[in-house]
Amino acid sequence: MTAVAAKPAAGAAVDMPAMIIGIIILLVIIAATYFIVGPGLAFMALIGVIVGGILIGFGVHFVPVGGAPAAMGQAPGIATGVAMLAAGAGLAGLFGGAWAAQTTDNLLVIVITGAIGGGLMMAITCMFVTFIYVYGMGIPNASGKVAKDPITGDTQTEFKSQGTEGHGLPFVSYVGGVIGGLFGGAGGTLIYLMLLDVYKDELPAMMNALPAQILPIAISLAGIFAIGMFLVNAVLAAYNITGTIEGPHDPKFKRFPRAIVACATASALCGMVAIMIVAV
Amino acid sequence: MVSIVFGIGITALAGALAAIAGAAENTESDIGSQGDPNSQVQLAPQMGYLHRIFNKAIAGEPPAWGLWIALGAGLAWAFMAMQINPILAIVLGAALATFVQGVYATTAYLGRTASLAKFGQPVFIDVLKSMTTVTMAHAFIAIFATVTVCHLMNAALGHPFPLPLLGLVWGIALGAAGSATGNPFYGKERQYQNQKYGAGVPIAASGNIVRYAEAGERNSLDNGWFSARLGGPASGVCFGLIVFLELWRTVLFEQIGAGWGAIIIGILIILVFTVIDRYIEVWARKNYGPYAKPEEASS
Amino acid sequence: MTVKVEKIEGGMPHSTIMIAGLIAAVVLLYLTYANVLVGTEYFAFFGGLATVAALVWGSDTIKMLCSYGIGTGVPSAGMIAFGSGVIAMLFATKYGIAAPIVAVVLAAVIGAIIGYLANNVVNMRIPVMIQSLVEMAIIGAVVLMGYAAMMTGSFELTSLTTGNVSILGLSLPSYQASFLGGALIAAVFMLGAIAIQHPFNACLGPSWTQDRMLMLAAECGFLSMIVAAVMSMALISMSAALISLFVAVIGWYYTYTKYIELAHRDAAAWLDTKPIPELVEGQ
Repeated sequence: MTAVAAKPAAGAAVDMPAMIIGIIILLVIIAATYFIVGPGLAFMALIGVIVGGILIGFGVHFVPVGGAPAAMGQAPGIATGVAMLAAGAGLAGLFGGAWAAQTTDNLLVIVITGAIGGGLMMAITCMFVTFIYVYGMGIPNASGKVAKDPITGDTQTEFKSQGTEGHGLPFVSYVGGVIGGLFGGAGGTLIYLMLLDVYKDELPAMMNALPAQILPIAISLAGIFAIGMFLVNAVLAAYNITGTIEGPHDPKFKRFPRAIVACATASALCGMVAIMIVAV
Repeated sequence: MVSIVFGIGITALAGALAAIAGAAENTESDIGSQGDPNSQVQLAPQMGYLHRIFNKAIAGEPPAWGLWIALGAGLAWAFMAMQINPILAIVLGAALATFVQGVYATTAYLGRTASLAKFGQPVFIDVLKSMTTVTMAHAFIAIFATVTVCHLMNAALGHPFPLPLLGLVWGIALGAAGSATGNPFYGKERQYQNQKYGAGVPIAASGNIVRYAEAGERNSLDNGWFSARLGGPASGVCFGLIVFLELWRTVLFEQIGAGWGAIIIGILIILVFTVIDRYIEVWARKNYGPYAKPEEASS
Repeated sequence: MTVKVEKIEGGMPHSTIMIAGLIAAVVLLYLTYANVLVGTEYFAFFGGLATVAALVWGSDTIKMLCSYGIGTGVPSAGMIAFGSGVIAMLFATKYGIAAPIVAVVLAAVIGAIIGYLANNVVNMRIPVMIQSLVEMAIIGAVVLMGYAAMMTGSFELTSLTTGNVSILGLSLPSYQASFLGGALIAAVFMLGAIAIQHPFNACLGPSWTQDRMLMLAAECGFLSMIVAAVMSMALISMSAALISLFVAVIGWYYTYTKYIELAHRDAAAWLDTKPIPELVEGQ
């Protein structure tokens, strides 16, 4: 792709001044929220939203995505876009977590249920990718970035077909995919749960109605915010990865600190506005 | 006890509908050539290979299917709020969403092909006329099945999310699962059928997709016919398993251990799939063998 | 993406489209407020026209951003626009008549911060990144507010959260049968997110022309308005919904036929049931 301006490649370089400004913005937002709503449910919800955003941003780096070359067996990974594949897993996890939130109040149980939902979807999807590659196309898995699979020790170079960068899902990429699904599902569920608690608490007073009556509004608001924030965090992480990554063993994985700061700040900002809807 | 039996019955129905939806989704996106394989359809004229494939460039599969299903679900919800019978509401919602999908498909083909005018790729009106209705038909099946699954989740199984939100969630999941499973099969096996079987496409061959094939000049219906053999059913089983197992473990085990029961079963299922994946990978390494001699003596 | 994206020139300058789009969208949004002043629902269709104006503007913004080769593809830009816009829009609906202005300002702030994070912390280093994300967040918020106004009659929080449910012939207020309670916002979220990136994505290529892309943007806007009008039948009176539907169908038909004409104008050849042409040497 011929880019227009001479843009320095978004390498693994960390722009320290920008990171520090990002962290400062994060702290300013946290302080402003504390100032406006005081310690209590709303403030804890903001912290929860930030943690959820970090989980999402970090989890996206684990998911193996090969993009267009993967669809031709030229690169390892899944042949879909990074942000939307992670969104698919995270939203499947959010589905499970929202269901668990109805039957129990235990935060740990709900978030882990959401995580398992996302991990389960990625596990099934990744297994079927391997299935198609092996039984449908006759192509064994091979990584292009490492000589030996870090988890199983399988050698990779002689299983790479000529003229390609590898193909399929080496076992470390599979594990990375499942871990990415786990983190994404957990993060999305955590954001949903935090916002749901705040809305269930404050909406009855704000709208002069019974808690049971405004429950649909609270659920829908929390749900659409969780999805919106998930997409923002996933896209920021996808920008960090610049499109394709083989999994946790890929050198690009080391870029994740930048995404953590960016996702934390973006989640803090969106979370603060989401909470201000009812708390101001 | 009755409610668990009822729940399992609904779960089985939802799993079956999801499998149908997954298969239809994959065939629809292969006939339209959407998603990552479509970059080859776009690239081919630029490398001098003109073709008669339908170039449906509507974002990737997850966001596009997120839209069709959320839209179908939103319309169904609106019709149900107007006291229309649920099944009729879902049919009408799916039909209108399919209309939107068809219009998007035509504008995508016209736009992308017109923008390739510099390379001489013509707009084939007969391709537009014949492919669009076929991809709309598959889309209708997938949208109807998935919106019904969402309706069952909300109305019969008691999930708190309203129908449009469930549609958004499962639409993106459907697109992600179907595209992950079906895209390599379509992209490598069918688009590059003239390359050697059992190896990836070498980078030097990019753009050289198959344009003249067994039934004359290849078009997207031929591609759909092929990928409906394995890619479609595999995507269907994949998405069907995702929906079924997610609902099954919740319906059966949610009450056990105050929620921990479903979590433990979920971890067990993930481990089972990991073992299966590892088995398939080792089987391939043993039975297919390496492409070249290993550099040094290794296991 | 292995598609060559070369710098594509031509057409109106982006700042003209931006100012025209912003003013048109905000003015049309305010025209829906006539519903509240007069106590009817017949002006709801102005909300849909506001979304068309904003989507036309948005397609040019996405073209500006993605011409620089962001590496991940066009649809993610639409997602980040609407993800940040939905939050600004829902916050702004609390402020009654000032809601559109609050939405624009708040979305600009959110977009600026997210743009800074994407450009500097994540190191994208694209010259127009911050400006593009500011514009896209504003567009996301305005489009969602337009759909909300079109489907419920006004853009205030009370109208988004109340609906009517008919029990035994009596019409009772219900939170569940409302725009937010029924999560119709999820459907319009995706409608907008796909509609904003489709014009550039579908007209991508070396022979891109701006007027064809803008016409396609208007067509996507009116198409989305058609289905939004159908969905609004559950929330506002049938005659008001039918007015929106009528305006949308007329607008869609006009823009769709114009778009086909422009594609015909731009295409290399317009063939019907012909074999693949042989490329002449040196073409």
